[in-house]
Amino acid sequence: MAEYDLTKTIIPYLDRHLAFPLLTHLLESGLFAQDQVEAAQYELAKGTNMVDYIVSLYEQLNPDSEVPEEFAAKREKAVAINEQLQQEAKAVLDVIENPDVAQALRQDKNQNLAYLKDNYDLTLEQITALYNFGKFQYTYGNYSGAADYLYHFRVLSTDADLNTSAHWGKLASDILTGKWDVALEELNTLRETLDARAGATPLSGAAAQSQAHAEPLATLHSRAWLVHWSLFVYFNHPAGRTLLLETFLAPAYLNTIQSAAPWVLRYLAVSAVLSRRAQAGGGTAPVSPRVRHAIREVVKVVQLEEYQYADPVTKFLKELYVEFDFEAAQHQLQLADRVVGNDFFLSEFREEFLDNARYLISEAYCRIHQRIDIADLSARLNLPPDEGEKWIVNLIRDTRMAADAKIDLEKNVIEIHRPALPIYQSVIEKTRGLSIRTQALGAALSRTGQQQTQPAQEQPAVVEGAR
Amino acid sequence: MSRFFRQAADSDSESSDSEESLLSSDDDAAPKAAPAKPAMSRFLRLANDDSDSSSSDSKSEDEDGSDDDDDAPKEAKTKIKSAFLRDSDEEESDEEVKRVVKSARDKRLEEMEATGKTMDNALKINDWIAISTEYDKLARMVQRQQNVAEPIPPFYIRTLISLETGLNAALAKEKEAKKKMNAANARALTAMKQKVRKTLKEFEKEVKQYNDRHSSKNSPAFAAPQVQVRPEVVKRPIGVEDDDDDDDFTHVGRGGRATQYTSEGIYKHLQAIHEARGKKNTDRADQIRTLERLLEVAVTPYQRIRVLLALVSSRFDYNATVASYMPIEMWLSAQREIDSLIAILIDNGSYSVQEITEEYDDLIERTPEGEKDGVVRIRGSIISFVDRLDDEFARSLQNLDPHGTEYVDRLKDEKGLYCTICRAETLYEKKQLPEPIARVIMRRLEHIYSKPDAVLTALESAVATAEIPVVLSLASQPSPSKLIHTLCVHLYKSGNSVLRTRAMLSHIYHHALHNDFYTARDMLLMSHLQETVYSMDVGTQIQYNRAVVQLGLCAFRSGLIKEAQSTLQDIFATQRVKELLAQGVHQPRFQTLTPEQEKAEKQRQLPFHMHINTELLEAAFLVSSMLVEIPMLASIDLEEQKRKAISKPFRRLLDFADRQVFTGPPESTRDHIMQASKALQHGQWEQCRDLIQDIKIWSLMPEATSVKEMLAKRIQEEGLRTYLFAFAPHYKTLSLALLERTFSLDRRAVNSIVSRMIWTEELPASLDQSAGVIVFHRIEPTRPQQLAQILAEKVGAMVEQNEKALDIRLGGASSWGDRADGLKGDKRGEQTQERRGRGERRGGGARGGTRGGRGARFAQGLGNQMTKAR
Repeated sequence: MAEYDLTKTIIPYLDRHLAFPLLTHLLESGLFAQDQVEAAQYELAKGTNMVDYIVSLYEQLNPDSEVPEEFAAKREKAVAINEQLQQEAKAVLDVIENPDVAQALRQDKNQNLAYLKDNYDLTLEQITALYNFGKFQYTYGNYSGAADYLYHFRVLSTDADLNTSAHWGKLASDILTGKWDVALEELNTLRETLDARAGATPLSGAAAQSQAHAEPLATLHSRAWLVHWSLFVYFNHPAGRTLLLETFLAPAYLNTIQSAAPWVLRYLAVSAVLSRRAQAGGGTAPVSPRVRHAIREVVKVVQLEEYQYADPVTKFLKELYVEFDFEAAQHQLQLADRVVGNDFFLSEFREEFLDNARYLISEAYCRIHQRIDIADLSARLNLPPDEGEKWIVNLIRDTRMAADAKIDLEKNVIEIHRPALPIYQSVIEKTRGLSIRTQALGAALSRTGQQQTQPAQEQPAVVEGAR
Repeated sequence: MSRFFRQAADSDSESSDSEESLLSSDDDAAPKAAPAKPAMSRFLRLANDDSDSSSSDSKSEDEDGSDDDDDAPKEAKTKIKSAFLRDSDEEESDEEVKRVVKSARDKRLEEMEATGKTMDNALKINDWIAISTEYDKLARMVQRQQNVAEPIPPFYIRTLISLETGLNAALAKEKEAKKKMNAANARALTAMKQKVRKTLKEFEKEVKQYNDRHSSKNSPAFAAPQVQVRPEVVKRPIGVEDDDDDDDFTHVGRGGRATQYTSEGIYKHLQAIHEARGKKNTDRADQIRTLERLLEVAVTPYQRIRVLLALVSSRFDYNATVASYMPIEMWLSAQREIDSLIAILIDNGSYSVQEITEEYDDLIERTPEGEKDGVVRIRGSIISFVDRLDDEFARSLQNLDPHGTEYVDRLKDEKGLYCTICRAETLYEKKQLPEPIARVIMRRLEHIYSKPDAVLTALESAVATAEIPVVLSLASQPSPSKLIHTLCVHLYKSGNSVLRTRAMLSHIYHHALHNDFYTARDMLLMSHLQETVYSMDVGTQIQYNRAVVQLGLCAFRSGLIKEAQSTLQDIFATQRVKELLAQGVHQPRFQTLTPEQEKAEKQRQLPFHMHINTELLEAAFLVSSMLVEIPMLASIDLEEQKRKAISKPFRRLLDFADRQVFTGPPESTRDHIMQASKALQHGQWEQCRDLIQDIKIWSLMPEATSVKEMLAKRIQEEGLRTYLFAFAPHYKTLSLALLERTFSLDRRAVNSIVSRMIWTEELPASLDQSAGVIVFHRIEPTRPQQLAQILAEKVGAMVEQNEKALDIRLGGASSWGDRADGLKGDKRGEQTQERRGRGERRGGGARGGTRGGRGARFAQGLGNQMTKAR
């Protein structure tokens, strides 16, 4: 199964600290030799200021040898820097935590800065100290502290680059502390800032050509990073999977995934499979059409990107919905089951995935077949006949098929009679929503009419186009 | 033709007006009488236009009060005649009068002499407008003279020479004069300068003969007016003009005193040659000989560089006309000389050839020690030499017969050329000049990008054996593709956007050639070239078309039939495949091309060895169209829908084939495909397969056997689909085992195909697993039901169109219908999909919109350029 492990491909897109949980998971899953993973952990940790952790890892790796001197020195240095930064930051923090100040602060950052400068003699440099201290705290693993400081910094600072950086830091801290709600919020704001920036660049960057070339690339990179970081959030937050579909299927991010990180398709595919439950079961919460048609969309992308990336999960979807080869699909599902089980992000959803995937198979199977041998279907679903029967009964009860499908126990078959869609039904289907769409059209038209007062020309073009 | 021209010549004496009427009537007759020489009639028409204006010019001249007694009566005559002109037999009577006196030939000569005299007179008073008019007239007469195969009168040559000297004198005077001529006159002067230069070139030989004769004896035949001009003529050649100078050298050389060419004298000779360059009556061959000899005596690197620079450029000058190509001998020596020039520059780092240098004295020897920073900078441009050399090579290939041995022999020279280009690359890499490096690399890339690996390796090994230390060579790269990649990456990094685009297209082409469809497609789509290519130059557009076509072929070879079909669709919809690929000149149906257009088109043509075989291309396109279109045709049963065709060209051919009463055994590729299509329609996939595999042109495709196998498989599958579509109404159930047997597919494949058709609701049926049959649930809709369905579809389409129109109006991105998002969501998703997948995935509905647009734009690409050229 090691060939399907994505840890190695994902880690380059993660922060050093975010990679630790992944490695720990690898240790548990036992896909790779333990000492190798430990060595990797050690290497990874060496770049941080978590000296104690490094030392413990070192001892694990080399149980016999002495702990080198350098760690002690490093520790002292870290402590010293910490002191110094804390001093610097404290001045600012004291001011900010003053309730008077908190009340006086407004939306306008420039005004805030002026206020702080006038009344408390706080300069921008001092505020940047917050950022530095937050960052340093992050490097030695005090994530919640880091999140605090970075938050304060962001409220005050006007420096766009540092702000974005603080954003990333805060997101990482929140992820590492496991505050998924906060992290989700953070993720959304970060995404908005990135998107806003990407939207603004074509105008500003047009002047300098080299810049215009660099900008889309930077956008692509930051989006790719965001996609990977958000996996942490989406697979831990309760509503994460639908949100993941919502985000990743948005054109900008879908393009990013397709061109920079096709392996994320696995997560997209799994979420799509998982989303089935959301639409079939709930029905109360309004799901966006993007989520509703997620599977269709994902299948399209999977097919498109097959030459770049394929693993059992995507192959499962492809076999099921492109080739309609149920045998192969079932085989891939077996593999996919194990892949999902071994994946850091997905392991918790293994059962759910398998369940939903079975539903998908049986749904497709029932739609195509008129008379189904129960034993055969059970085999397709990878279940023993008895359980298969139970499963099928549940399926029929759960879904809309109840009216159409009947089990004939004597012959051990399911008979499905799906009356063909009457013509009038299809006509209704086709014309449904037309009037709403037309109304929207009219509304938009009148809106532009107010702006430009030239809606009259629209009409002939429309008529001509319709022909 | 001769009838007309003689007639026209006969009526020379008439006024320009009558002539015009005659000529214009001839214009109508000309295409019939002289289809071979359309240019002629056009020339005459142009001349006429000139003469029209000339009459008014000469009128003004009269008013100027010149004593042009020759012109005055003529003018009067003109007026009278133009009054008469409405009478048809006027010209006849006029001719008769003249004919009594002289023979037609004498009359013509006389006419010419009269014109010449007028010109001389005008020359005296510096009236260039008049000269220009008369000159045109004269030129026309001489043209006729040639048409009736009479010798050029020496008088004409004499006039030419006197004109030239007069011109030079006038130009010189004009430069110094404080008071300039009036604008019209000055313009006429410049125009004359050009005309005379052109004519002199035409009559080079005669002029030389004349000059020789003239210098030996002063011909008594010259009339008085010329004598006054003559002294200048005699003087100038000695003083400034260099051909006489050159003649001297030749004489001396022949005399055996080769020592005349000393290394000291080099610069003087060079300067002389340099000044003679571009002048009309310089003997280029002689110049080249002189320079070759100079090269022998050149000692220092500086001298050699200077001589080589001059020599190479005069070699390129040797053939001044655009239409023909450089003699191959000449080309080879030019190539050798460029090689040695580059070698000198590489060996002597302290010499550098640049396009822009500080002023320096041409006549003194320069050494690195004498220069400020130790580098001798010499004016010149190696890169333009290399460019020119390459262009001349391509031109010679354009002009040679591609099926002759000569062509093959010529192709062998490519190795040498490639080496030269690589040498130049080394030179520039050494000098670290980014701009020329990019140009040189582009040249290099152009030579290798469309070649198969074997040829590329051969070229590279030639470079390796020549021991050119190129940084990027095949030796340093693991594979040919890698080499192309490195070259392209180098160009992507260069600042020049045209080169970047071309490199990108070459790269795409190369990928496509190596069956790397996905990479090529992604590069094409991500570069967004299809949006910008329409504003680029024709060369780039042609390259774009080539890349797209190659991509289509690549998709076909890789078995991606749908992709191949939609990629090739665009270019075949224009029906001008050959022209768009620059493999043949387009003949517009309703208008004729002007000679300039034709010339420009001819120059754009690719050499034969770079052609993409259009027959193969067509076969690939039609076969993929067949595989896409036939099942679709079978699936629809309403007349209404049948009009929607995926591939119009294919549909047209199919309809034509359907109308045929009797069809014989297939001969051409098209016949094969049409009969195969019919067989497929009837479910006879074996016959279809055999027909398709019999097509001979496949042998030109690399991996032909695997392609044929792929096609056979596709035909099996599509045959099954077509069969199901076509015959489903006649069955209630259909056994899967039967299908298996009929189409010799395995159970799994049949199952998969049938399931897919059921799932996508193409086939109203379901499977009965236990009995192993397909059960059809077909309902025959009644007429009103059908109509209702069609209506609903149309309304839906209309709303969609409206939305699209509004989207365009509001500028796409800023979505107007936030409210409608819920309904449009999935559609929008598709649109974004399309951004990447446009090339290969064009589902039913979206098709209509994009196809027309792209196809049309394809066609316009070149059309726009041509109107501009006009």
